[in-house]
Amino acid sequence: MTPDSLDVLAVAPEIAVTAGVVLLLLVEVNTDLGSRAWAVFAALGLGAATGMSIWQFVAHHEAADARTFYSDMIVMDGFGALAGMIVFPLTGLALLGGWQLATSFGRRGAEFVSLVMVAATGAHVMAASGNLIMLFIGLEVFSISLYILAGYTRTREDADEAALKYFLLGAFASAVFLYGIALVFAATGSVSIYGPGGIADFLGGVILTRPGILLAGIALLLVGLAFKVSAAPFHVWAPDVYQGSPSGITGFLNAGAKVAGFAALARVLTVALESRIDDWAPALAVVAAASVVVGTLYAIAQDDIKRMLAYSSVAHAGFITTALVAGQAGVGDMWFYVATYAVQVIGAFTVVAVVTGPREGRAPLDAFAGLGTRAPLLAATLGLMMLGMGGIPLTAGFVGKAAVFQAAIEVDYLWLVVLGLVAAVAGLFFYLRVIVLMYFREPAPGPGTDTARPSVGLAGRTVLLLTSAVTVVFGVAPWPLLDLVRDALPL
Amino acid sequence: MEASFPILTILVLLPVASGIVLLLLPKDRTELVLPVAILLSLLPLGATGWILYEFQTGFGGFQFVERSVWYEAWGVGWHLGIDGISLFLVALTTFLFPLSLLASTAITDRVREYAASMLFLEAGILGVFVALDLLVFFVFWEAMLVPMYFIIGIWGGTRRVYAAVKFFLYTALGSALMFAGILWLAVSASDQLGGPTFDFTELLGVEIARTTQFWLFAGFALSFGIKVPLFPFHTWLPDAHVEAPTAGSVILAGVLLKLGAYGLVRFNLTLFPEATVELVPVLAVLSVIGIIYGAVVAIVQSDIKRLVAYSSVSHLGFVVLGIFALTTQGLQGGVIQMVNHGLTTGVLFILVGMIYERRHTREIGDFGGLARVMPLFAGAFLFTAFASIGLPGLNGFVGEFLVLMGSYLTLPVYAIIASFGVILAAVYLLWAYQRMFTGPITVKENEGLADVGFREAAILLPMVALIVFLGVYPKPALERIEPSVQGIIDRIELTTDYEAPEFGVEADLAGEGDE
Repeated sequence: MTPDSLDVLAVAPEIAVTAGVVLLLLVEVNTDLGSRAWAVFAALGLGAATGMSIWQFVAHHEAADARTFYSDMIVMDGFGALAGMIVFPLTGLALLGGWQLATSFGRRGAEFVSLVMVAATGAHVMAASGNLIMLFIGLEVFSISLYILAGYTRTREDADEAALKYFLLGAFASAVFLYGIALVFAATGSVSIYGPGGIADFLGGVILTRPGILLAGIALLLVGLAFKVSAAPFHVWAPDVYQGSPSGITGFLNAGAKVAGFAALARVLTVALESRIDDWAPALAVVAAASVVVGTLYAIAQDDIKRMLAYSSVAHAGFITTALVAGQAGVGDMWFYVATYAVQVIGAFTVVAVVTGPREGRAPLDAFAGLGTRAPLLAATLGLMMLGMGGIPLTAGFVGKAAVFQAAIEVDYLWLVVLGLVAAVAGLFFYLRVIVLMYFREPAPGPGTDTARPSVGLAGRTVLLLTSAVTVVFGVAPWPLLDLVRDALPL
Repeated sequence: MEASFPILTILVLLPVASGIVLLLLPKDRTELVLPVAILLSLLPLGATGWILYEFQTGFGGFQFVERSVWYEAWGVGWHLGIDGISLFLVALTTFLFPLSLLASTAITDRVREYAASMLFLEAGILGVFVALDLLVFFVFWEAMLVPMYFIIGIWGGTRRVYAAVKFFLYTALGSALMFAGILWLAVSASDQLGGPTFDFTELLGVEIARTTQFWLFAGFALSFGIKVPLFPFHTWLPDAHVEAPTAGSVILAGVLLKLGAYGLVRFNLTLFPEATVELVPVLAVLSVIGIIYGAVVAIVQSDIKRLVAYSSVSHLGFVVLGIFALTTQGLQGGVIQMVNHGLTTGVLFILVGMIYERRHTREIGDFGGLARVMPLFAGAFLFTAFASIGLPGLNGFVGEFLVLMGSYLTLPVYAIIASFGVILAAVYLLWAYQRMFTGPITVKENEGLADVGFREAAILLPMVALIVFLGVYPKPALERIEPSVQGIIDRIELTTDYEAPEFGVEADLAGEGDE
């Protein structure tokens, strides 16, 4: 294989998805095939991208085979490949779960599907980039797609508000991130992570006598990415955005941002800034602690399930961050947690979308009263997701927690682990509340959705079964996945 | 001793498979569910019978051991084994489940899910008793909460939601710190063993610094103490016991509480011996408070189910006192008393359930003179009350006598105070009997009550028989428990400067004999 063909293979997943998007839009403009054609091209694009990611993983996850392309702009290593293996199937799952929403837009649905796929491309670029500017481009491709998706209903005012809020605060966070890049460049003379003279190389070989600018840069990078993954105290946008945006796509907003954001965070911190771990690990520990505490406490007080899940996602951002205080040793544990949590998020929001309507924003908890008798499959799935997020054994959520806490204990962050475990128990309170509503309470008599029997389409049913299967299988036998993520270290 | 046949794995998986079978039964044949569940729950009982038969007397180590590595990087493995301490708790579990299912005919709503939850619960409990890998142990320990939570929350009484959530959160909070301790143990083991391990038998070989032992002991003891429940962590218990359906209460009191005491014996005493020896006074004080407090509060209850629930606090106090007496007799008494309490309290809860199904009230004041219309029922109640009080010839006597004797050797003052618990037990149980069963019938609705029926007799008879058997001839049980208990005491003596007093030799309490 010549180097030239390899160059293309490094971005093959992106090419596959983009080709799918282009074809989808072309066909949509020129024919009347409708949503079936979208499904075909989305499936082909995402399927091909997943396949290419798997190939990348198999061929290049060994450190000896991993390398960079396009002047260190793109990295092909186990880390980036695994990100693709998570992001693209996850996007497919999210599209299945949001299919009802997509088709409800009529012809605009084609753009909706395209935007989701473009966001997935951006997410993968974030994970596979070897250069901070490239990472920023991925971040923007990803984020801008999400801003549009959040307000896609157009007619509903709180969705517009959500989109605007997300856009303004997100743009601000991007600016902060960009300023962080600038400061790191000022301190190290490079925006490239890899290669001779790159950030990692420079910091590994030089002792900075006055590291102030570098530290400020690290702090700003951290803030920018903490915003994306909704870690406290940069989380305030999340509840409003989740509550306002259409339920059919909220799961993707959350899950996608977690995967992409943590991939970027892991690469920047544990590769580019590896030698400064003593500077950023304590800061990260504080962010993790703040996230689990703030997320859990606020989630307890919510009476809208989407707001509750938003705050719970803040807490989960904290749990995932806990793994990263261990540096590269925690990257595998981070992947396990992120991947399984993202699946749980998609499963939970799919149920929410079916119960309260995929275009709607608000999802009051009361709407779930008595769901156990009204819609056993939906209730069982949501219940399982709640147990998973709560970290009950025999679900993937427990293994994830065990993994990240073990990583943190190995680097002597026992206080963070104890705090996390106590917060996890407090978190059970609101996860159990959903189960109590669904199984222990009769639906409140009255008009509206309270006594309705929501029905799931075939696509939704598939999502429910797949997410449940993943949650249980990797809860009972997590070992193959744990082995896999151990191999997914960045170059 | 390695097992030639994976009987313990089968024992744990049987209830799981049975639960799945139940969920697959045809939807319109709900009348089949309970009979099938009862039949299926006889399978683990049969397996236990085989284990009891094959169990080697006079050997203190683990038997029927199965061991395979699951995930090298974490040091997790499927490691099961059974010894004299867990043997009879396993037997008690498999014995109580068919009977509690048989006592569940009052459940009509979502029977299939109910029976499946019960079987999953059984699997979880059995897993806890036989797991020798701390992570696997913890998985069973936590996973077990889920079916119990649903049993209380869906099929419980009027305040079931409150009770279920309180039960879940209380227990989960306790286990959070234990989980931190388990992780810490596993990770810190890599310094001495060259890799992390959750394996209990390997962790026994790890030396743990003194102060660390205290922290870890506290983390584990909090989790187990909540489960036991030890005063002052008992407040979840009355709610959960009272609100749970009859079978739920039987399992809660009969088996679930024992998990805490079992954990204390299995892990606290062996992994943290120095902390154990030092903290004996703390645990002894808490258990004696539990004995007296539980009994006193039981006296003033007007609800018979609450009375039995509080009596559990008192009885489990005896168990913990026996354990922390750190003598062979005390530990032996503690272990056998766990089984005894499971039987007697199980019967009491079943009797309460039977009377509740007839009258839909549990207020003692709503009854009176029942012995006239229900002589058999009254007899069963009086018999069990005597067993619970510890009348010689019945099982309660064996356990309480051993506990008091064992603790008198090392903790004489506590033993003397604790013995008042026996008297108080007579007060609350016999007074309740007097008010409910003797004298004329005071309430008109009670006149037509039916006595114990055939199904009910089928539930009560095996338990009564076992109560008598263990009271008259406890030797088979005691001689199997003894070597394992002796092993724990030996280990404590080996790793600390504690010396267990010889029975029959005057105890050297003041320590003046040290030369």
